[in-house]
Amino acid sequence: MTCKLWQKKLKLNYSEDVLDIVQFGSSVLDNSNPNDIDIAVIFKKITLKEQLNQAQQIKNQLKKETELPIHINSFDLYSLFHEGNFAKENILFYGKSLLAKDYFSKIFGLTPKIQINYELKSLEKKDKVRLHYTLRGKSGKYGLIKKYGGELISPGLIEIYPEHEKIFLEEIKKITSKIKIKKILY
Amino acid sequence: MKEDILKKTAKEYFSAAEDEFKKSRFNSALVLYFKSLVALIDLYLLQQTNKTPSSHTERFRIIEEKFPEVYDILDKDFPFYQQSYVQIMTKELAEVIKDDVQIMAKKTKIEL
Repeated sequence: MTCKLWQKKLKLNYSEDVLDIVQFGSSVLDNSNPNDIDIAVIFKKITLKEQLNQAQQIKNQLKKETELPIHINSFDLYSLFHEGNFAKENILFYGKSLLAKDYFSKIFGLTPKIQINYELKSLEKKDKVRLHYTLRGKSGKYGLIKKYGGELISPGLIEIYPEHEKIFLEEIKKITSKIKIKKILY
Repeated sequence: MKEDILKKTAKEYFSAAEDEFKKSRFNSALVLYFKSLVALIDLYLLQQTNKTPSSHTERFRIIEEKFPEVYDILDKDFPFYQQSYVQIMTKELAEVIKDDVQIMAKKTKIEL
């Protein structure tokens, strides 16, 4: 049973008060082994009591789709962006909409990407070649960039989708630790 | 008697929660409302099954099996009790938990 609920065809019952239902946290990342599934239900402006009751109903439906425990959080747009919401970045940047089957941030017209800058200068030639093969592939085999839909922006700079962050970093760190990461929404 | 203890603790926690609420100490109020809620849920279980759970895990298991409407209340409110140590709780949220205490008070026929 997949933990990526956002990829499943779900028949959820929810009211018009729901703006979106978002999966976030480790369960949306590739190469991760999540212990639970984090869900944020984003509401239009309704009372907190009503938000919590409706979120609980959604949780009861989602529970049937996975064996992992579901942690549900409810927000309106104000509480989502409130400084006290520590999950804000995670929801906005990594969140996947169960309704749109895409990044939650696209609801605001924004696409999340991660730019990884790795220093080539200090690497030995053989490591430069290894890194090149890892990212671009070798002898007809796909490298990470093609496999996961990333892009080589310039030498030493790639742009990838957020859910592949762990995969790319693990592989690149085998060759160099001189890495800078930038999270962008554009 | 277990029933008397549960009634006494539910009332005591609720009364203390009300005091904290009046002082706008919403984290404390929420924790105390939640404790009152749990005492009432245990009382409800005792009234319905003649048993009381010995842990949160057992409590969750029994009520999920036998009393889904009560499970929804506990499952919905428990995360806020857990988060109350590290997050600022609002007046509105404390009021939501208070409402749930009152729902359970009705179910158990207790006057808080």
